[in-house]
Amino acid sequence: MTNTIQKEVLIPQPPEQVWLALTNSAALAEWMFPNDFAPQIGHHFTFQVPANPKADFEGLTVQCEVLECDPPNLLAFSWSAGGLVDTRVSFRLEAVSEGTRLHFEHAGFDLSQPWGTQALRGAEFGWAKMLGQLPAVVSGLAASRK
Amino acid sequence: MVITHDPEPDVFTAISHPARRRMLDLLRESDRSVNAIAGQFEMSRPAVSQHLRILLDAGLVTEQRHGRERHYHLVATRLGAVRDWLANYDRFWDDRLERLQMLLSKKSKS
Repeated sequence: MTNTIQKEVLIPQPPEQVWLALTNSAALAEWMFPNDFAPQIGHHFTFQVPANPKADFEGLTVQCEVLECDPPNLLAFSWSAGGLVDTRVSFRLEAVSEGTRLHFEHAGFDLSQPWGTQALRGAEFGWAKMLGQLPAVVSGLAASRK
Repeated sequence: MVITHDPEPDVFTAISHPARRRMLDLLRESDRSVNAIAGQFEMSRPAVSQHLRILLDAGLVTEQRHGRERHYHLVATRLGAVRDWLANYDRFWDDRLERLQMLLSKKSKS
């Protein structure tokens, strides 16, 4: 089992513009969640994942700290919530001819061994529950913004 | 005699501590007594017992009495929830990054 989530996304925009979407609090709220982010190493901030009574989800606060902030190349922050303690989320921006290759990583899931094969039923845990209801949460967000 | 505990759905709290994850790693190799586990850690015996208690309560280990010793056994299936949960994170980020791309394409048009 991998202990790191890695993704690559190609964005037809220059790194400077992608950087803005990553580090401007309002823009960040649009694709993540309401937050009090500031592009400053050592800055503590939270993402407020809103409650969704319909999905029986009471909301969640993600605790973060800016770990690296090198515009427009690298942004990293810690991520603690829903059973995760001090995992690390990072975005590395690579200028390419098409725009920006965004290297995303969520590391620090310290669970590197193969687990049992039988999955447990039920998503009793806040985060898993929220993720299961993500479409509802997201559409709720979109609706509230209109 | 096997002592089982009602598994509380608190697997994630249980594995949130590095010492407890190491205990699970040890038990992955084989069942072990409290003493054998405690021998691998700098912490006091009561502290080790406390961690084991949390693992027990989460249903991640079971306890078996061998005479005066207690042996601990890993219940690996309880960790399936963790794997599922990581898969959820994977989907979560797919979704977020998609939203980021949508946001940026909207901005470039405006």
